[in-house]
Formats: sequence, structure tokens, C-alpha cells
Amino acid sequence: MVDVSTAVMTVEMIEASQAGLKAVGAGLAVGLTGVGTGIAEMSIGAAAVGATAENRDLFGLALIFTVIPETIVIFGLVVAMLLLF
Amino acid sequence: MLYPEQMSRLLITGTKDQMGKVIAELHRRRLFHIEDFVGQEEYDGFKIGMPLEGATEASVDLLKIRGAATAFGVEGGASPPARRVSSGELRRQLETELPELDAQADEMVTRRNRLENRARELETRIAELEPFTAFPVDLDHFRGYESLAVFTGRVPADVAIEAPHEKEYAGGRKGGFLAVFTPKEHRDAVERQLQEAGFAPVALPAESGPAGDAIARYRAELADVKKELETIDRQLHGLKEIHSSFLLAADELLSADVEQAEAPLRFAVTDLAFVAEGWVPTEAVSEITASLEEATGEKVHVETLPVDYENDQVPVEFQNPDFAHPTEMFMDVYSRPDYREIDPTLLVSIVFPIFFGIILGDVGYGLILLAISLMLRRFLMTDGWKQFLDNMRNASISAIVFGVLYSEFLGFALPWDPVIFSRHLNIGGGAHGHGPDAASLLIVAIWIGILHITLGRIISLINHARMDHGTHRTKAMIAQTGWIAFMWGLLLVIWSIFPIPLMFDLTRIGDVVALGMRPFGIIGIALILYGMIAIGQENALELVEAPTVISHVLSYARLVAVGLSSVAIAMVVNYISIGMMIEPALKNLTPVAIVLVIVGIVVFLIGHALNTALGILGGGLHSIRLHYVEFFTKFYKGGGLKYNPFGMKRQYTTEE
Repeated sequence: MVDVSTAVMTVEMIEASQAGLKAVGAGLAVGLTGVGTGIAEMSIGAAAVGATAENRDLFGLALIFTVIPETIVIFGLVVAMLLLF
Repeated sequence: MLYPEQMSRLLITGTKDQMGKVIAELHRRRLFHIEDFVGQEEYDGFKIGMPLEGATEASVDLLKIRGAATAFGVEGGASPPARRVSSGELRRQLETELPELDAQADEMVTRRNRLENRARELETRIAELEPFTAFPVDLDHFRGYESLAVFTGRVPADVAIEAPHEKEYAGGRKGGFLAVFTPKEHRDAVERQLQEAGFAPVALPAESGPAGDAIARYRAELADVKKELETIDRQLHGLKEIHSSFLLAADELLSADVEQAEAPLRFAVTDLAFVAEGWVPTEAVSEITASLEEATGEKVHVETLPVDYENDQVPVEFQNPDFAHPTEMFMDVYSRPDYREIDPTLLVSIVFPIFFGIILGDVGYGLILLAISLMLRRFLMTDGWKQFLDNMRNASISAIVFGVLYSEFLGFALPWDPVIFSRHLNIGGGAHGHGPDAASLLIVAIWIGILHITLGRIISLINHARMDHGTHRTKAMIAQTGWIAFMWGLLLVIWSIFPIPLMFDLTRIGDVVALGMRPFGIIGIALILYGMIAIGQENALELVEAPTVISHVLSYARLVAVGLSSVAIAMVVNYISIGMMIEPALKNLTPVAIVLVIVGIVVFLIGHALNTALGILGGGLHSIRLHYVEFFTKFYKGGGLKYNPFGMKRQYTTEE
């Protein structure tokens, strides 16, 4: 015969671990996409700084190229927010 | 307002004897943007002009003035002078004072250099002699032997030499100094053994007497030289105090002279006449024409030429209301607008502070930034800094306004509930409340993105309508409507499938018609299809860019995300410093508790200082980035030529 209070406790535990896993998922979403964006922006950024140093007029274009991979982390962020709230 | 200042192309012709007067007048008015003569085809038979008389003399004088200014360490630009000198007076002063001043500066610099060289030489001598102080013998004892070879140098440790020799060793912490005397026939053997022991030879200085005596002699001389150098530096400083304003004023006057004297290099001339082409703001045309005619007694001809927008590089000058002037900095960082396109400075000047406020939104941080910007404004007088600080001031005022709306002060709640959405997080043990309205905020941010981007596309439509011609114009305009249709079609489809709070709920309007879609969904699909066709007909490759519609709109989510993270940092700092340190300590005041309170205050200050810095970076960079990347890419071309009128802003001298 299963105790009712045990059952309630089990449900509470499951709920708590679900919330925890959601938070872990959100963290992974932002963290991993951030790493991805960082790796992608690394070489673009270096080239963009070089190009801008040679010709100031390229700043706008260089900036746009540099932030193209930011899309990835934005998607990660949105997923994280949807998970959490 | 939304366009740059209107420019007219002006042609000034006259006989060569009027050239000086014309140049002086143009320089004084500071309105004429000279278009350099580079041997254009329509000027067959013209050549580039020669500098005016006196150009060489003025250049030479300017060099002397700059030389003296460098020698005395005079720097301009710190603050504008109290009184401006009249040019005539300055010219007289130049004639009498410059030769003397130049000679004085020259002499001082030569003397200073000589002394510096001597000091360096003495220091080297001392360094060379230093090792030999280990042996208190006359340095002459180390040389001049017929049958002996002498080695002097450094070794890591004392060496045992297997050959007839006499050795002096002085050890130290980092190896020792060694002097070895050996008969000449054993020279090679000793040298080999020394080398194996890591011997580094040190040349014998060309001195006689004990090394210590020589060093003392040189040290005394070095002290004298240094004292003399100090005297010279004091004198130079005194001269700087006396001549600073004169030198700055003379520099300005002579720079103006040289600029004017060299202006003919940018004009087209024949043997007897000259032609100058350039740009002036349209509203100043009659003014400059009248003043030129007056200056030359109507001996020049000024004519407005037709403008060919396709081939002429029209210089661009901003034309904005006063409050938008600081924002011109952001435009110039990116690229100056083209002459014919819409200048978005005004829009940026309104939207940028709002974005900043949405992100930072805290009364406390807003006040700190406002105080910093107002304080720095007194010290940093250059134009760039002024513009930057004015932008910061506007942005921080907006942050205060949003802080009141969000009910936030350094992460604490103000005594009222948030007027708009709450950003208060549940941080800390005793925290309760319903948490932030993150979802609602996110949707508001998305709405801002949708409207901002749609605005960008509409501006692009207008730009294409104004700037392009023929079929290209039609195609480009249709493509822009395609982009708008694509985005809103996508939205309609989403809205008719999912009910989203704060957005239109189209899920319950009408029955399912086809493809599992309700009427608005079908309209949405139609719009998407139209959009793709409209984009594709201009350039099929552009269709690859279609997903950016989603990513660019979602990118505005950063308005909320960056803001929430800043709130979280502030609240965590408050919780650690007050909730975990100061409050428990105050309940039970022991000596340890007092230390804890102090640590808590330090944590509080450092944490919030850090978060303020992050607030400027996060709020400022992300807001401007949303403009540069998401907004400008929709319509902005840039690449305009900066309007740079001939003449200079006089700071130290008055006109003649």
C-alpha cells in the first residue's frame, strides 16, 4: 500500500527536478550558442579590425560582417527565455 | 530636416590679380568647399596654379614657430584663450620677436641635447667601470704586459684553471667577476677553459687609476650635468609660460597664411585668369557672391553651375535641429549619408536614447551617468568628446525616465509598483513576488523590432524612388514592398496559428479555409508568396537573405535580455552586500560584525561601479548596434563626402 504523502513527495520531487532541468537547458542554450558565436566572430572580427585600420570607411561594413554570427546566440537567448518564463 | 543641407555648385572666375583677394575673402567666410582641379577634360588649356607670393616665407616662419612650440612643450586645444589677439598686432610682434625666439629655442634645444648626450655617455662609462670596483688596484695594472695575457670578464661561478696563472675572483649573487693573468704561451689553453666555464669577457675601460676613483669622478660630473638639465627644463617651462599664447596665436595666423597661399594649387589657371570650382550651401550663394564682388570691386564673375548628381561628388553637411547634433557623431562613425538619401540622424537621435532607456531603465544608474556626463563636459572640450557626452546625457535622462516606469533604483524597487512591465527578479532568500514580466517584455521588444524594420524598409522605398532611374527604380521599389509583405505575411501566418499575448489573436477569426489555415493565414501566405516574387524579380540571390527577416526581428530581444541581466547583477550585488553581510551583522554588533559591514559596503560600491560600466557598454553598444546592423542595412548607403569648407575656425586671433 503506497502512502499518499510519499506520492505527494514524489510528485514534488519530480516537479522540482523538471524546473531544474529547464534551467539547465536554458543555460546550455545561451552558453553553447554563445561559444558558437564567439568562434564564428573570432576570425571575422580579426579581419574586420585589420580592414578598418587600413581604411576607416569600411567600419560600417566591417561591423555588419562581424555581427552576422550573432544571430546564433540570439536564437539561443530566445529559446532560453521561452524555457524559463 | 531629414535631408542634408542643400548645396550649390559655384564657379568663380577672375583675372589673376584678383586671386589673392578672392582667396582671402573665401577663407574668411569659411563656406566654400573647394573642388580640387586635377586637370579635368573641360578645362583644356588650364594648368594648376602656383602658390601666392610669400608662401615660402610663411611656411618657414611656421616651421620656426612649431619648432619653438615643441621645444617649450606648448600644446594647444586645452581651453580657448581669454582674449584673442588682433592679427595686425601679431604680425608686427612676429617680425620683431620671431628671430630672437627662434634663436633662443634653438640654443636651448642644442644645449639640452648636448647635456643629455653627456649624461648618457657618463652613465655608460660608470656602468663599464662598475665591475672593476671589485679589484681596488690601478686599472693600468691590467694592461701593457709583454709576456702576460690578461682576461677580465664575468663567470657564473669561480673557475679552476689548469695552467700556470694568477687569478683574482670576486663573487656575487649572480655569478662573479674574474681577472686572470697568464703567460702568453698558455693563453689558448686558459681561454678554452674559461669559455667552457661560461666566461663572458668585459673590455677594460680606457682609464687609469683605481676604478672606484674614476666612478666617483664621473658621478660628480653626472650630478652637475643633471642639475644643469634641470635648470634648462625650468627655463624652458618659464619660457612656455611667457610665450605660450603668442606661439599658439602665431601658429594659427601662419597656418591660415600658408593655407591661403597654397590655395591656388587647387585652382585652374591660365596665364592671366583663374577658375575656382566648389560647393556652398544654397542659402549662402547670394551672400558669398555679394561679398566676393564687394571685395574685388566686381572684378570677378560668380556663377551657379547645374549639378549632375550621378557624377558629381556633392559634399554633405548635416542639417538637423539642435538636439540631434550630438548624434551626428554616430553617423560619421558609420559613414556620412549620401547627398540625396534620407539622413536618419534625427530618427537615431530619438530612438537611440529610448533603446538605451529600455535597456538600462534604472533611476540610480541614470543619475550616476548623468552626473558623470555633466562633470566630464567641463573638462573634455574637444568636439568629439562634447558630442559623445551629450549623447550620454540624453541617454541617461531616458534611463531615468524608464527607471521611474520600471520602478528601479540600483536594483531596489522604488515605493511604487512598476508603471509598465516589471523587471524585478526573485533573487535572495526572502524574495517573493510574481517575478519579471519577461514574456511580455520580450513581445514588446519584438514589436519594436517589427516597427523599426518596417520603417527602415519604407525609408528604403523612398530613397529608391528619389535616387534611381528607369526600370531599376521600379524593380528596387517593388523589391522593398516585397520585403515588407514577406515580413507581415509571416506575422499573419504566425498570428493565425498561435495566440500570442499583446499581439493580434487571429486564431479565432473565420473557419479553416484551406491548407489548415484560417482566412488571415491564407492572406499571410499570399503576402509571403508576393514578397518572394517581388524580392526575386530584382535579384534572385536576395532570396537567400529571407531568413534574416526573422533573425533581425528577434535580434531586438536583446533590448530585454541585456536589460534583465543588468537588473540581475544589481539585485545580486544588493543581496550579497546587504542581505548576506550588512543586515545580519547589524542585528548583532560585534567587532567582527563591524568588519563585515565595511566589507559589505565595499562589495556594494564595487559591484555597482562595475554594473554602471556594464550599463554604458551594454546599453550604448547594443542600442547603436541595433541601428547600425538591423536598421541601417535596410536603406542606408552612406559614403557621402564630408563638407569641408575652405578656411579655419580662429581660436586665438581675430580677422584682419
